[in-house]
Amino acid sequence: MSLFYNLESTWLSLKHHAFRSLLAMLGVVLGVAAVVGMLAVSEGARVESIERIRRQGVDNIILHSEEPQANATGGENIYYYGITSEDIAHFKTALDNVKKVVPVVGLRQTIYANGRPTDVVLVGADPEFLNISRSENADPRGRWISELDGVTASQVCSVGVDAARQLFGLDDPLGKTVSVYGATFEVVGLLNNPLHSKLAGKYDINNMVYVEYDTLLSIFNRDALKVEADYVYIQVQDLDYLKNTADRIRTYLAGTHELPDYTISVPYELLLAEQATQRVFAVVMGSIAAISLLVGGIGIMNIMLANIYERTKEIGTLRALGAQRRTILTQFLFEAVTLTGLGGVLGVGIGFLIALLIKHTADMPTIVTPGSVIVALTVSIMTGIIFGTHPAWKAANLSPIEALRR
Amino acid sequence: MSLIQLQGISRVYGSGPTAVHALRPATLCVEEGTFVAIYGASGSGKSTMLNMLGLLDEPTTGDYLLEGRNVAKLTDAARSEIRCREVGIIFQSFNLFPHFSILENVCMPMRFAGVDRHEMRDRAAELLTRVGLGDRLAHSPSQLSGGQCQRVAIARALANKPTVILADEPTGNLDVKTGDEIIGVFHELVAEGHTVIMVTHNAEYEKEVQRVIELHDGNVVRQ
Ligand SMILES: Nc1ncnc2c1ncn2[C@@H]1O[C@H](COP(=O)(O)OP(=O)(O)OP(=O)(O)O)[C@@H](O)[C@H]1O
Ligand SMILES: [Mg+2]
Repeated sequence: MSLFYNLESTWLSLKHHAFRSLLAMLGVVLGVAAVVGMLAVSEGARVESIERIRRQGVDNIILHSEEPQANATGGENIYYYGITSEDIAHFKTALDNVKKVVPVVGLRQTIYANGRPTDVVLVGADPEFLNISRSENADPRGRWISELDGVTASQVCSVGVDAARQLFGLDDPLGKTVSVYGATFEVVGLLNNPLHSKLAGKYDINNMVYVEYDTLLSIFNRDALKVEADYVYIQVQDLDYLKNTADRIRTYLAGTHELPDYTISVPYELLLAEQATQRVFAVVMGSIAAISLLVGGIGIMNIMLANIYERTKEIGTLRALGAQRRTILTQFLFEAVTLTGLGGVLGVGIGFLIALLIKHTADMPTIVTPGSVIVALTVSIMTGIIFGTHPAWKAANLSPIEALRR
Repeated sequence: MSLIQLQGISRVYGSGPTAVHALRPATLCVEEGTFVAIYGASGSGKSTMLNMLGLLDEPTTGDYLLEGRNVAKLTDAARSEIRCREVGIIFQSFNLFPHFSILENVCMPMRFAGVDRHEMRDRAAELLTRVGLGDRLAHSPSQLSGGQCQRVAIARALANKPTVILADEPTGNLDVKTGDEIIGVFHELVAEGHTVIMVTHNAEYEKEVQRVIELHDGNVVRQ
């Protein structure tokens, strides 16, 4: 029997029972749409969270100074807190797996340009900051702060392009000066990061002014700083020992800090945890897909049985005219697979729409992967085969005279 | 050698005390090119015998030789193949496929025989022209009268150039005049050398045919 015949008779049967067929497909359509939509949401979330973690650098351990809560201090007001210079020195010398220790501290003072106050933040940063935070500088002019600036305590700074606009407007920032808390810094370079990376996921690095860390600490007293480091990036040499290094840092900080005035985050651990979560999610998704497949499949089986019951006489006539059992079998199987396949295609389309809708209304990233579309379509076709086989088999095995008698 | 030889063919429905002997062991021959009527009262076993001849049903006992070949105990696939190529079957209620055009209806047996698409359409059109429906090929069965439907069924039965044409009360759903026209078509076919076996309980047709096989309570009482 030709494919054309199967197509045509399937088309006629679907057309004749358009509404009923649509209802039968509904289970598959909704199931597939839900799966495609949910996979798109989870994929969007996964890619975003992994990207966010990656941007912090998987080989980094990031320490953050935090002002202790009043209940932790027993009501006492704490003025100085957080990671100290001694801690930083310890990380640099006492830990063998550590490649770089990069502190960053924000000055809590107003910056003036041309005598005018701005709300740009000045930070003291180790020159390795750009490398360790994987932030590219696309500005070719001037230079970035250097180790030498620290050694000579040069009062120079690099300015992010957005900060420069706030400070100097459209003027060329190079050679200009900014003053803050009685000190003056000359602008020697610009930072233009095309990706707008964020320090600690919060502060746009293009919107800050950078002074070499040691220089900043030597110029300002702790009253101006409050903390000696807001963030400390610790880059490890060997990823395999990252956990060990992180544990040693935890132990060390627990021993030296009485108050909980710091947090430690390990992007690599977050990444592993995230991947584990994704696996759990995949299992949940798989179960939902399986249930919707079951529901959709039962709908299809139901409709096929009804079709066959209704067309018993037609089947008998086909057999009387010489149709083989396998001809009847393929015809009805083809019909079931067409139903679920069409349902799958519709479902994928609706899933796409759901993903788009979520993206635009809930502002969540969604990604429909080709993989999820292929899985959805394969699953719908498999549903047709699995749940279409029994009715088709029944049709094929009707006795011709019994069928004709109806 | 006879075209059809039935040797002790019987059919029993069910078993034990409730068994129905629809057809008692019957032995008879049908020669090629004859117009035969199977005649009898309702429930006498006419359809049972015709189903046997059309390989739609398997005999309980006996042998059935079609063109000398014993077809009584074949596999379902082999019987389907014979139904497809050797038998043309016509029903009382036409049994056309309502969603297909009459051209498609006539094509159907040729699809099962694997006839080439073009050849199939040409032949179907030719057959329909022959039964007087050449100008209505694209019509659906619901657009035709009963007599016209039965003509389509005849064209369909002829599609694979069968050895024998079987018709179960082909005029049962038609008025007398239209029924006579259908009998007329059968006469033409027989004149061309076809073998036609027709079930009827209408005694009027006895004089139309060359031979009558009469059944009574499953027994062949005249042949
Ligand atoms: N599937 C079946 N199961 C049990 N008995 C059956 C079955 N089919 C037919 N019979 C019986 O076999 C006998 C012959 O039936 P058959 O259909 O051959 O009669 P018929 O001569 O064609 O009658 P009619 O003119 O009414 O069509 C009847 O008594 C009928 O009840
Ligand atoms: Mg009958």
